Amino acid sequence: MNNLIKFLLISVAAFFGLVTQSQAEYPEKPITMVIPLGPGGSHDLNARVFTSIVPQYLGNAIIVKLVPGASGQTGTSMVAQAKPDGYTLLFTHNYFDQLQSHIKKLPYNPLKDFKAVARINYSAACMIVRSDSKYKTLQDLFDAAKASNGKIKMGHSGMWGATMVPLAQILSWANVNASLTPYKGGGPTMQALLAGDVEAILQFPSGVNAQGNKVRTLACGAKEKSLGNPPVLSDLGFPGQIYMDRIILAPAGTPNDRIAKLQSALVKLKDDKTFKNLMKRLGENTAYMNGPDYEKVRVENSEKYKDLVKKMTKG
Amino acid sequence: MFDSFLNSFPLLFAGGSFLSIITAIILGLLIGLFVGALPGLTTLMAMAIVLPISFFLDPLIGIPFLIGVYKGGIFGGSIPAILVGLPGTGASVATTFDGPALTRLGKGRKALETALYSSVIGDLSSDVVTILLIGPIALIALLIGPPELAAILFLSVLIISSTSNGSVGKNMIMLAVGLLLALIGQDPIGALSRFTFDIFELRAGIPLLPMLIGLFAIPEILLNIENKSKDFIKTKLNLKKEEKLTWNEFKKLRRTIFRSTVIGTTIGMIPGVGQVVAAFVGYAAAKNASKNPERFGKGELEGIAAPEAANNAVNGPTLVPLLTLGIPGDNITAILLGAFVAHGLRPGPQLMTEQGSLIFAIMLCMVIANVLFLIIGYITIPIFSKVVSIKKSYLLPLTIVFAFAGSFVFRHNPVDLYFLVGFGVFGYILKKLSFDVTPLVMAFILAPPLEYAFGQTMSLGDENVLKYLLLERPIATFIICITPLLTWKLWQRSKQLRQVAAETTEEQEKKT
Repeated sequence: MNNLIKFLLISVAAFFGLVTQSQAEYPEKPITMVIPLGPGGSHDLNARVFTSIVPQYLGNAIIVKLVPGASGQTGTSMVAQAKPDGYTLLFTHNYFDQLQSHIKKLPYNPLKDFKAVARINYSAACMIVRSDSKYKTLQDLFDAAKASNGKIKMGHSGMWGATMVPLAQILSWANVNASLTPYKGGGPTMQALLAGDVEAILQFPSGVNAQGNKVRTLACGAKEKSLGNPPVLSDLGFPGQIYMDRIILAPAGTPNDRIAKLQSALVKLKDDKTFKNLMKRLGENTAYMNGPDYEKVRVENSEKYKDLVKKMTKG
Repeated sequence: MFDSFLNSFPLLFAGGSFLSIITAIILGLLIGLFVGALPGLTTLMAMAIVLPISFFLDPLIGIPFLIGVYKGGIFGGSIPAILVGLPGTGASVATTFDGPALTRLGKGRKALETALYSSVIGDLSSDVVTILLIGPIALIALLIGPPELAAILFLSVLIISSTSNGSVGKNMIMLAVGLLLALIGQDPIGALSRFTFDIFELRAGIPLLPMLIGLFAIPEILLNIENKSKDFIKTKLNLKKEEKLTWNEFKKLRRTIFRSTVIGTTIGMIPGVGQVVAAFVGYAAAKNASKNPERFGKGELEGIAAPEAANNAVNGPTLVPLLTLGIPGDNITAILLGAFVAHGLRPGPQLMTEQGSLIFAIMLCMVIANVLFLIIGYITIPIFSKVVSIKKSYLLPLTIVFAFAGSFVFRHNPVDLYFLVGFGVFGYILKKLSFDVTPLVMAFILAPPLEYAFGQTMSLGDENVLKYLLLERPIATFIICITPLLTWKLWQRSKQLRQVAAETTEEQEKKT
């Protein structure tokens, strides 16, 4: 019975929480946060978690709006054109934000038209193989790739997507080639690996965790405690870390005091028990980074990606 | 496995939890039904919005709640499809062939009840099959890769277009137009822009929902206005007089429902094909098997039962890859994945061995949800069919309002209204020239996944695709080999059917 009462109370609270709050200062109405990706992906899930907790610190709700299409361009341009009043935000990742403009003409300039509110967390890209695979280390895999003359099969989650760019980056660092096949997102990529269609894939820890002993992690782009600390690329002699940042951006003209208000609410997530608990279960970390710090990362990354894209499109 | 199945019962029925589970499912069903019935709001959106509620609940309450929303939403989508011919999703397009026709004949309630019973039977049987065969289904999921998917999708396009109404030549033209429209936007493999003429709005491709509403609902409305809406809804229908589905009528539907359930369950086992194909193939198969194929599209109850049973029967098996491999097969199962994970339950091979009883408990909840849904549907159908009792002079403008509002609410993008009007006018012209838009819509829906799977196959085959298919992909090779045979047979059969249809209309004309 307790469960029933709890259930009813929460449902009622969730519905009325959206309408009853009204204050004179920002935010006096719910904030819309656009995700330029489809439902059910890792951005959606991460957003569902923190938007269900932030309201108690912010004083108003954040409503998630999913606007997928054209590799994130549809949703991103929607926010770029929105009124910069702090009521429309964008929840995106570093590849849409810092790499895409080097590939195609966009109707907005990511670095100029947006400013960073915060990075919620990051996910390291990990190279995995099936547990019955003969490749025990990353070196084994790359040796085999070289021996196969670039014919070894690897999968990724879509052209210029969140595991394709890191994969290309790692291969370019190791100076090996592979036959890359795109799949529609992380799930189908994993399925392709398990079915034996491809030999190796990049995957984020939350996806790796679920498979337990069916897959073997060869290396990760950054430290990953949840996977039992597999070798990190930078320790294996590769020049850098590889991970996806999940970031909140606001249109560039948004008043600074409003962004500060958002940041002061978001930073409290770091110490929120429920948040930490839920994120841990998702297999995600809570490596929060404030807007001004992340601005520097954006500029640096954008330069790095420019070179990478040049290399990739040439070959 | 069997142990965990038996252990799942105490989980459900122990203590006071059963009552809470039931309440959660009922609430979910009602929310889903309501959201699904409003054109433009999708089940997917509803589930994403209520997902956080489940975070803070017991997994055996939160997840059944979401399952309720899911099941309610799918049936909800059929309601506007039947009553006013507004398809909310691709899966309910096939329902608009006979739904509005039945409503116009004053059989709206019968149609809704047929949809309810077919949906529940299709869903329930597929859930039971899933519980019994969860292991084998999981294996099938791993056998189907891009080459097999490409072959199956190609075969589906051929089956559906060769069994559509109208002349073969016209159908092929519509098929080509659909394929062409699907090419607009970014290509799925290399993410390059195609046929966008530098118009940014076209980069994401043509949105499906405004297109569906435009092609199916707007021409109907325009034609009715043309006929001064004489027959749109005969008169103000009194609910009391509106008849329920009789036992005899239901008995006649048994074969159709059974056939569609088998089709839907089979299609559900193949990841990446889904409800849309199931609904159309179910409809085509029913028409093919019928003694009176000429009645399809003019208000045949079988035309409701077939797609509804088929698209709901997909639901059970689509959960299998999620539960056994931890891989969500579509967006809806991805949201369920989120709900599982937030409770520390990571679906996958380990969960199945460690928490098998919980998994079975959740699957039993799906069975319970179906039974509850039968009751809720039965109670709410009279309320929904009241729509039809609105005066026709109000209903027509209301439908227009819903068509526009639905297209807009979908993405909140004003561009979609241009698409709606554009496709509305296009659909009207096609109707006047007696083209059937079904092949167009099918091609449009199936072309992107087909192209994707084809591109993947080419990539996997590297330089020698033929060798790759023959040596490593026997299933795909087999499907490709039977495709011409099957298509030829179906084409012959549909030619026969057309002949029968022509003869009966002649006879009818002679009589009158």
